[in-house]
Amino acid sequence: MIRLYNVTKIYSKNLKALNNINLNIKHGEFISIVGQSGTGKTTIVKTLIGEEKVDQGKIVIGGWDITNISQREIPVLRRQIGVIFQDFKLLNKKTLFENVAFAMQVCGGQARKIKKIVPHVMKIVGLESKMSRYPQEVSGGEQQRVAIARALVHRPKILLADEPTGNLDSLNANEVIELLLRINKFGTTVILVTHNREIVNRLKRRVLTIDDGYLISDQAVGKYIL
Amino acid sequence: MIVSFGRVIKFSIQDIYRNIWLSLVTIIILILALFTVNMLLVVKVVGDAAVGAIKDKIDVNLFLKNSAEEDEIDALRVKVSNLAEVKEVSYISKSEALESFKEKHRDNAEILEALRELGKNPLTPSLVIKPKDLEIFDDLINHLNTFDDEIIESRNFTNYKLLLTQINNITDKVTRAGYLLSGIFIFITILVVYNSVRVAIYTHRRQITIMRLVGASRWFIQMPYLLSGIIYALVSIIAIMFMFYPFLSLLQPYLETFFVGYNINLIEYYYGSILTIFGVQFLAAAVINMVAAYLAVRKYSRV
Repeated sequence: MIRLYNVTKIYSKNLKALNNINLNIKHGEFISIVGQSGTGKTTIVKTLIGEEKVDQGKIVIGGWDITNISQREIPVLRRQIGVIFQDFKLLNKKTLFENVAFAMQVCGGQARKIKKIVPHVMKIVGLESKMSRYPQEVSGGEQQRVAIARALVHRPKILLADEPTGNLDSLNANEVIELLLRINKFGTTVILVTHNREIVNRLKRRVLTIDDGYLISDQAVGKYIL
Repeated sequence: MIVSFGRVIKFSIQDIYRNIWLSLVTIIILILALFTVNMLLVVKVVGDAAVGAIKDKIDVNLFLKNSAEEDEIDALRVKVSNLAEVKEVSYISKSEALESFKEKHRDNAEILEALRELGKNPLTPSLVIKPKDLEIFDDLINHLNTFDDEIIESRNFTNYKLLLTQINNITDKVTRAGYLLSGIFIFITILVVYNSVRVAIYTHRRQITIMRLVGASRWFIQMPYLLSGIIYALVSIIAIMFMFYPFLSLLQPYLETFFVGYNINLIEYYYGSILTIFGVQFLAAAVINMVAAYLAVRKYSRV
């Protein structure tokens, strides 16, 4: 599904964010990428969505070599990869429904299709009864679930979650992780970037550990080792 | 595609509305620029009309002796008509000259009284000569000066060329000042539109980030800002149309007083060419705005 061949990303002479990373993520996997802040975890996410170009190596997603992806092709790639972030990235002046619908509107989705799909994904994330509320009227966990719903509207094959629980208490964090596991069960490949030891150890899934830009560990049923 | 275009228009109007004060400033600057351009056009129309009016009036008079016989006058008339520089020659008799004089000074009681006291017609018959072209006016004068006919009493060669040169100089200077002013306003417009779009992008930076993340195309992200440049131009053109006609209505009576007897109707001119005048101005304003918006979008929309 996702293959990284000797990927190196250099920001400056003294800052090598990724160092000769080799990786193979299979379809339907749930993997956690762990590591301390500034070790290159988010850089991996950015290279996977075409936000950053690698300096050496090759990235292939679903057979598509995106190493030198053009600006025109990036939107096509991003419609196949859902992304969620620590800060939710919701629009406060739009309702939860409108926030999710927005992702379809800006990609040319028909109004009829939007009316059908948005309630469906809101149901998946358990927020069908709060669709008319605004982000500030719901909890942080619910906001993150809205972000997940938004990431799901294009039926992505891959869901990238960059520190999705970073702003949440343990209860809400657990709810979000449970949701990600459920989405993974539907067949979506989930890549969770986190430094939350407790969550990683509880998941008992594949864990990649990044340290100083190097992939230092790849365990099939891993633990947080740093 | 149609759905996306509809949304682009919606987002564009939202962008303008959310930065309403900045949008108003942009539109006011555009209106000022368009007003200057239209003033330039008015100066050109009035200048052309003034030159036309004077050209129409240009003639040379050969005043003849009272004793001149009809056959002598006819002979001179034929001689003058045969000149290459002459378009038309007409004969004004003594009595016609008097009638014309009285008509011209019908409101001046003193002149009419003086004429009455004189008791006889003091005017002489004349040949009124219209030149073919103002460029060869000097040649005509030179030719006429060589005529040494006995029946010629005097010659009136008013220097119309100098008058026209003066009018042309004035209109040229006003036009140059207008071009300079228009240039300044266009430059200010570019700066203002550029900054309006920049602020609009800043206001929507979170929205743009999300659009990029969820896979919106670059066209879809950038188009609302380019479109707002067209909307600014459209609103400004409509505003200037509503503002300029009352302005012309105020100006028209003064022009009519100044150009008595000549048909200079700016309102008619504008009504007659409304689509061309404002269509071209709209296109020019839209292109300028889009260029300014594109420069801002290219630099700042990568949020």
